[in-house]
Amino acid sequence: MDTRLARRLEARFGARLLGPARGHLDETEIRIGPGDVAEVLRALHDEPEFGFRVLADLAGVDTGEVMQVVYHLWAEPTVTRDWLRVIVDGLSRDDPRCPSVTFLWKGAEWPEREAYDMFGIVFEGNRDLRRIYMPPDYTSFPLRKDFYLADDAARSAAEGVRHLEQMATPPEATPPVATRRSKVR
Amino acid sequence: MTRTVSRDDPRVLLESPATIYDAIPPYPPRSEREAEFYALRDGEMLVNLGPQHPSTHGVLRVVLKIDGEQVVDLDPVLGYLHRGIEKLAENADYHQAICYTDPLEYVSSLFNELAPVMAFEKLVEIEVPRRAEYIRILSCELLRIASHGLFTGWLALDLGGYAPILYGFIERDEIVEMLAALTGQRMLFNYMRIGGVNGDLNHEFMSRLGEWMSRAAREIAANQTLLNENEIFVRRTRGLGVIDRETALRLCLTGPALRATGVPYDIRRAHPYSVYPELEFDIPTRDEGDSYARYLLRLDEVKQSLRIIDQCLEQMPDGPCMAKIPRLIRPRPGRAFAAIESPRGQYACYAISDGTDQPFRFRIHDPSFVNLQSVGVLVPGNLIADTMAIMASLDPIMGGVDK
Amino acid sequence: MSVVARSWGHLTPAGKVVVPLLGIVLALGLVAFLGIVTGILPAIGDTVVLTGRRNVGIVRFLVAATAALLASVPIAFINIYLEMKLLAWIALRRGPNRVGPFGTLQSVAHGFKVLAKEDFTPTGADRAVFTIAPVVTFLSVVLAFMVVPFAPGIVGVDMNIAVLFFFAIGGLTVVGLLAGGWASFNKYSLLGGLRSAAQIISYEIPLTLSVVGVVMLAGTMSLHGIVEAQAGHFWNWFVFQQPLGFLVFFLAGTAEGNRTPFDLTEADSEIVAGFATEYSGMRYGFFYFAEYVNLFILSAVTAILFFGGWSAPVEIHQLAAWLGVAVPSFAIDPSQLGIGLLFLLALGPALGTVLCAIPVALLRTDWSLRRALAVGFVLFNVVAGGLVIAWAYLASEVVAGLFWFLGKTFFFVFVFVWMRATLPRVRIDQLMGFAWKWLLPASLFNIFATAAAIVLVNR
Repeated sequence: MDTRLARRLEARFGARLLGPARGHLDETEIRIGPGDVAEVLRALHDEPEFGFRVLADLAGVDTGEVMQVVYHLWAEPTVTRDWLRVIVDGLSRDDPRCPSVTFLWKGAEWPEREAYDMFGIVFEGNRDLRRIYMPPDYTSFPLRKDFYLADDAARSAAEGVRHLEQMATPPEATPPVATRRSKVR
Repeated sequence: MTRTVSRDDPRVLLESPATIYDAIPPYPPRSEREAEFYALRDGEMLVNLGPQHPSTHGVLRVVLKIDGEQVVDLDPVLGYLHRGIEKLAENADYHQAICYTDPLEYVSSLFNELAPVMAFEKLVEIEVPRRAEYIRILSCELLRIASHGLFTGWLALDLGGYAPILYGFIERDEIVEMLAALTGQRMLFNYMRIGGVNGDLNHEFMSRLGEWMSRAAREIAANQTLLNENEIFVRRTRGLGVIDRETALRLCLTGPALRATGVPYDIRRAHPYSVYPELEFDIPTRDEGDSYARYLLRLDEVKQSLRIIDQCLEQMPDGPCMAKIPRLIRPRPGRAFAAIESPRGQYACYAISDGTDQPFRFRIHDPSFVNLQSVGVLVPGNLIADTMAIMASLDPIMGGVDK
Repeated sequence: MSVVARSWGHLTPAGKVVVPLLGIVLALGLVAFLGIVTGILPAIGDTVVLTGRRNVGIVRFLVAATAALLASVPIAFINIYLEMKLLAWIALRRGPNRVGPFGTLQSVAHGFKVLAKEDFTPTGADRAVFTIAPVVTFLSVVLAFMVVPFAPGIVGVDMNIAVLFFFAIGGLTVVGLLAGGWASFNKYSLLGGLRSAAQIISYEIPLTLSVVGVVMLAGTMSLHGIVEAQAGHFWNWFVFQQPLGFLVFFLAGTAEGNRTPFDLTEADSEIVAGFATEYSGMRYGFFYFAEYVNLFILSAVTAILFFGGWSAPVEIHQLAAWLGVAVPSFAIDPSQLGIGLLFLLALGPALGTVLCAIPVALLRTDWSLRRALAVGFVLFNVVAGGLVIAWAYLASEVVAGLFWFLGKTFFFVFVFVWMRATLPRVRIDQLMGFAWKWLLPASLFNIFATAAAIVLVNR
């Protein structure tokens, strides 16, 4: 973790950050709410103090309670030698919505489509938000924690399984999702 | 837990199969862009390039909107090779998850394993023996040469040149046989392990490698002359699919495609990992940003890889090639991100642990995926024939794009 | 009825062939007998012969067309085999090596495969045009093949406007390609058909103009006459008087024959297979055959127009006369040998085998006598075959002509295959630009330069 960078981030964004900047090995991590995404990422990208020009990765995460969107950013080694991880925390699982960053990185379009396809996270402002991997008549989101693979689903109640696809959680199916969910934040 | 409702229209269910002359999808447009794309103006027509087409490098389907021979716009349709390895890995333990990544970019499998392994090592916080690090870099750089050799052939094949692909395969075959002696497999090596590698260097590998290294530089240079000064090849690729630095960064391009625009973004130097800080090599860049620059850049990279292999062999330390790790790994809850430079660009793995023996989230960032998306910017305005030249110069591997 | 069926059932497979044949022969014999007896048949025969004599031109044309049709098949097979093998060698592969010795029958196997495949017509295709398109292409190529002289006297039809006929009929291929592309009801086919129309019609112009120089020099449009105008030593070949014309002709011919680097009509990495995408079975086979016969014709016409056709690089009789040596005539009439011929045929092989086996047996003492004899027999065959060929070459003008003509032609076939193995494909705009901006001016310049030279020399 780059403490100098963490201090600069905290000074710049202050109350926008949900909690202090954290980190581990060569990663520095900040958390923001979905409302601040555009502003914070634009500042990180444009301001010469930061200059995170490269979007190394864009991932969706389902912790079981909330949805998250995770950006990994890279800047010149003169700024920091760490990966900067920006976690957009606290998206509701029922209607996850997050602003798109395609205005900064046009190349985020497909990763956002992927996150939508896999998690159902709606990126507002993405012009091309449709499924990218799954067929157009697919209705569920496979990487969500309440989506069971075929062998798990077979153990559950018969309803809901359609072409490896299910609309809702079968009530009987209780693999260790409930216990696994709590520890990830 | 509440019922998840999809935004997708359930009417989308295909009630009647699309007629053969209907390239327009038989359901209402799902996004602004789709509506715009499938609205045809006068004189335009849609052509399906793929999923079975000789030059899409796998099962990619690109809907081309053409006006005569000119491509007006295009819409890549992915997912024909989607295997859901992220979901599978979440239901496997940490060791098993590694081998799911092998078939992603199947022409450079070792790189696919390296990134998750590094991410898991960050989660578990173990020190990898230096000999193992050197073996990893040695085998990866060998595979980089093989992959670039194949790229050259594919590019030529898509331009109608017939011989280079076979020469590329000859070159690749020698390297792959070598790695088969080391790892036991020719294609999906499954060689990297959390904490090291699966086996130490053996005699057959070293003798094959030594024999090959004695003539590699000469042979590779000879193979490259097949295309380098070929007038037709140069005229077909130079000034084609030009992209500038700023646009390339905005498009999230990585690897040779980005370096061909002049941005020296190579993870081996930009965010050094493993033993790269100890090795001496250059990051070749070019300023033209066209297909020809992307091609030449890869040739330069092959030379650098040969340098790296030389140094690896010279500096190879003694010692174990595997750290002591438990059979069942239960990392502490946390997140780890590891990126490496694969032949196609930055290949990254983002892993989240929740304290159990299975990764909670396992995300693969694939360079082919982001590179392929730039065809939407590079191709329009060019001819159908150039679509292939541009796509091949980005070197997408559909196994990686579709995950 | 049941008796007939039962007897038929008792027949062996061979019998099932022989019995109907016997019946047919008997019936024909009866008809012939009755016809001769009543005098109808001789009358018909006389009429046929008379009609043939009166229309000898038409009969010759029909015979020539049939011969060209028949000859085109083995030529296509040889070309296909050569291409497979040469491409393989250039790519460091082995190539076909399973069917027949050194895989020589591979292309025949391909032919049978194509025959046996399902002949598929896509939904929505224009059936009539779809069916007739490959025939048009194939026939136009075969008709062009008819005027190609192989050796003195060995020519389908010796026209005095053969060059014109060749270009006129050769240009018809594009009709078949375009029709096939249109009728397939496939966008790739349509693109391929349009490409072929644009390409072949554009390249037709420099191709034709590049030959005008040759025609002016030879003073005739007959291919026979053009070859005779180049008789003598190799420096009489028109390639040395028309280097530019040759270059333009060869490049335009490559495009005309849809060969790499100008094979845009069936660019497999771009438009799948162009006009041939939807074709399968023998319809595809016709396109395929046409392409390879066309390859042969292009090479042959290149050899005829610019490389002296069947004439040898060095005229032996002239050379001998210059050196002051008399060349003995080898034209022996076998009938003059009389009884000697019988002895030669009876004893020659045996004596030759023994003669060839003696050095083998002496050199390899560890071999058994029988083995030495076997090797001796093979050696004798090689030597005798070589001698016969050498004799035929020296004795017969036709054989010598065929030798040189086929040698030159297959050299150009090799060059075409070589180009295919090494060169990438050009782009459609580069292709058209090349035809109109470079080849056309070059061929026009060639005409003017040749005309000026003729005027200056003849003054």
